Amino acid sequence: MTFAWKAAGLSYLKYTQICARAVRNSLKDDLRLAAQRRDEQGLKFAKWEAGKQGEFKPVDETQRSR
Amino acid sequence: MTFFARIVRGGGGAVLRNNNFRVNNTFVTSVRHYAAETSASNNLKLSFALPHQTIYKSIEVQQVNISASSGDMGILANHVPSIEQLKPGIIEITENPNSTKKYFVSGGFAVMNNNSSLDINAVEAFPLNDFSIENIRTNLAEAQRIVASNMSEEEKNIARVEIDVYEALQSAIGKSS
Repeated sequence: MTFAWKAAGLSYLKYTQICARAVRNSLKDDLRLAAQRRDEQGLKFAKWEAGKQGEFKPVDETQRSR
Repeated sequence: MTFFARIVRGGGGAVLRNNNFRVNNTFVTSVRHYAAETSASNNLKLSFALPHQTIYKSIEVQQVNISASSGDMGILANHVPSIEQLKPGIIEITENPNSTKKYFVSGGFAVMNNNSSLDINAVEAFPLNDFSIENIRTNLAEAQRIVASNMSEEEKNIARVEIDVYEALQSAIGKSS
């Protein structure tokens, strides 16, 4: 069985993320605002070199592996 | 061989009717695990959890209807063990003949264990009356606009997934009202 999202080049995580966001955006306004806070997730990384922590950089959405 | 496995001769040929086989002088017994063997209760034990909330924690219910990727299905106690991927759709929980609850889930997995316990994990789940028909309609129109526009194919694919969710929401809410 081939899923439409897979054929479209989305990963399962990406797909569930899109679905969850769509569900949150469809809530009644008061509930929606509380739920939408869960949508904001980010990842930062810093490279350690010679025992020193480098600069924190956010992981760009477009660079994430799919 | 004939001592351990009875061979029944029928019109079509020989059929093995025993699960015991003698292989290299050791017994190999194939054991078939069915839920009925281990369950004492006739009720389904439901756990329904989201990353941020537990909705049911080992609560006995009568029946759960899920919309799986392979189709809609109803689960009762003693269901054969299986794992189903959930698509955006309704989870209908019949707690008892007088009380049925409906949730819309964004997607996840349902795991039926062989002791009549059912674990449902979803990213988001809300009762149907938490949704705003106007917001769904606005979002659907926006997603359809993106698909029809000259945006990148990536944006359009995301919008196509969203359209499926909004349409599932619309039909879920339409059915309940």
